[in-house]
Amino acid sequence: MQNPFLSNRKSFITYSGIWVLVMGFHVFLLIISERVTIGFALADGIISNALFAAIGLGLWFPIFFSRSEKEKILSSFINHIFACVITIGIWITLSYFLLYSLFGSQTADIAFLRSSLPWRAGIGILYYGVIILVYFLMIFYRTHRENLVKESQLMTLVKESELSSLKSQINPHFLFNSLNSISSLTMIQPEKAQEMIIKLSDFLRYSLSNKDEKLTALREEINNINRYLDIEKIRFGKRLVVVMKANEACYDLKLPGLILQPLVENAIKFGVYESTEESVIEITSNCNPDALSITIRNAYDPEFPYKKGEGIGLKNIRSRLGILYNRDDLLTIRKGPDQYEVNIMFPQLK
Amino acid sequence: MENLKAIIIDDEELARSLIRNYLKELPGIQILAECENGFEGIKAISELNPDMVLLDIQMPKLNGFEMLELLESPPEIVFITAHNEFAIRAFEMNAVDYLLKPYSRDRLVTAVQKAAERIRTGKREPEKITGLVQQPLAETLERIVVRSGSRIKVIPVDKITRFEAQDDYVMLYTDEGQHMKQGTMKYFEDHLDPAKFIRIHRSHIVRIDQVTHLEPYSKENYILKLKNGTSLKVSRSGLKSLKDKLNF
Repeated sequence: MQNPFLSNRKSFITYSGIWVLVMGFHVFLLIISERVTIGFALADGIISNALFAAIGLGLWFPIFFSRSEKEKILSSFINHIFACVITIGIWITLSYFLLYSLFGSQTADIAFLRSSLPWRAGIGILYYGVIILVYFLMIFYRTHRENLVKESQLMTLVKESELSSLKSQINPHFLFNSLNSISSLTMIQPEKAQEMIIKLSDFLRYSLSNKDEKLTALREEINNINRYLDIEKIRFGKRLVVVMKANEACYDLKLPGLILQPLVENAIKFGVYESTEESVIEITSNCNPDALSITIRNAYDPEFPYKKGEGIGLKNIRSRLGILYNRDDLLTIRKGPDQYEVNIMFPQLK
Repeated sequence: MENLKAIIIDDEELARSLIRNYLKELPGIQILAECENGFEGIKAISELNPDMVLLDIQMPKLNGFEMLELLESPPEIVFITAHNEFAIRAFEMNAVDYLLKPYSRDRLVTAVQKAAERIRTGKREPEKITGLVQQPLAETLERIVVRSGSRIKVIPVDKITRFEAQDDYVMLYTDEGQHMKQGTMKYFEDHLDPAKFIRIHRSHIVRIDQVTHLEPYSKENYILKLKNGTSLKVSRSGLKSLKDKLNF
């Protein structure tokens, strides 16, 4: 980042203006003290302050580049004492020799110059402190403003992703087709219509809860899939055959919420949607104490390729797994000649 | 209403029974058959010759559109589907109406009456598209269904290397052979993925990844060479789109 005093004309003018004021004050004090000639007073004011103004600009770099979060307060304090000593050493030496080379013949002036060295050191420390403080304030202010912007951007992103995850959870076609089935059932089997409404409501309630933010027990996810499959069975009748091989010993293991339903939905889309006969969906779960493994299999007809819709759902799941477990090898897809198989491993976090 | 003969085609039993029950008390309509998929649908339509078909779109093997494409002179079609994104394509195919599931009895009766009106007046101009349409033009084609003799073949678009116009038909070329399909080049040009296919001539659409190079043939005339050795004429506008797409 560029020195804030050099980044635009306005702040450079302000910086220079302040130094001109200080310079004037310096000269004024020397003149009313009547201990030096006016020429010396002017030269001293200009040289000393112009030098410190230049050094002050340079102080930006050690500050900006050592601004690491890890640095301890003590070590940063020590660093500043060192930097301060060196800065003031350079400043006094340079201004001393410049003034000496100009006024070496005027003994009174030089005597004053020598006697004022401790004062100069004191003023130097003050200047150093003020400049460092101003720099820190500027950095702090700028970071604060950047953080505010970042935060608001992050909030928007979170909102958007919540919205899109909500959208992707419930497939509108599933919803409308189910409602159509219910509409049909009300005419022929009202009790069954009621049963389907309750299942659909439970399914929607589960999907709308914020389960995808936290880990859920397998039991709950299996229950949700069963509700979903029950609804689809009412729609597809004998065409949908579900083989659930869920190992009950795994029921308390954890996995991200709402992650299995999209996979089952995919399986139905590629299996049942495209089949006129019975189509089997097989869901298997296995586990050991360190990991839970879920496999979802469906048959498909290789004669009737249908790839639309593939991709986005799986991509979402892959990225969710990546964020949660920080691994990209948890989802595996095997596409056989007439069978499609998706397997996910869920590492168990201790 | 005259005696209107109808066929219901939907893969879900409950969806069919809803139509049946809605129409039960409507006089003058006779349901000839109910079909579970496009294959049964084609068979029933050609054997029973109905006046109208109540047709679902999303069905196994052969969807509603693909089934329609295979019919020489289709009856009046009322689409009944949960998908709103196919409305434009449905009206392109001259559908009478497009119902979104779930729908009321009155809505279905209106659609049936529209069909009856069309049959009575013999008018078949497309309906004004209203309300439903929010999506841009229908999705790109993924597969194409062709008829060879009595067999129906589904060809994935990815296997097709090029399309060639032949009178009222379009010839589809794959590595395995060629298939004739009723339709226009314009239809395919509009519905193929423009990232994969390019129209190079009035009579030719080719898959972009099949192109090897362009050869000058005479002044301002070019020949496009394909991987399998085929040479095709390139028109002036074809040359322009080739240049735009492939940076020739």
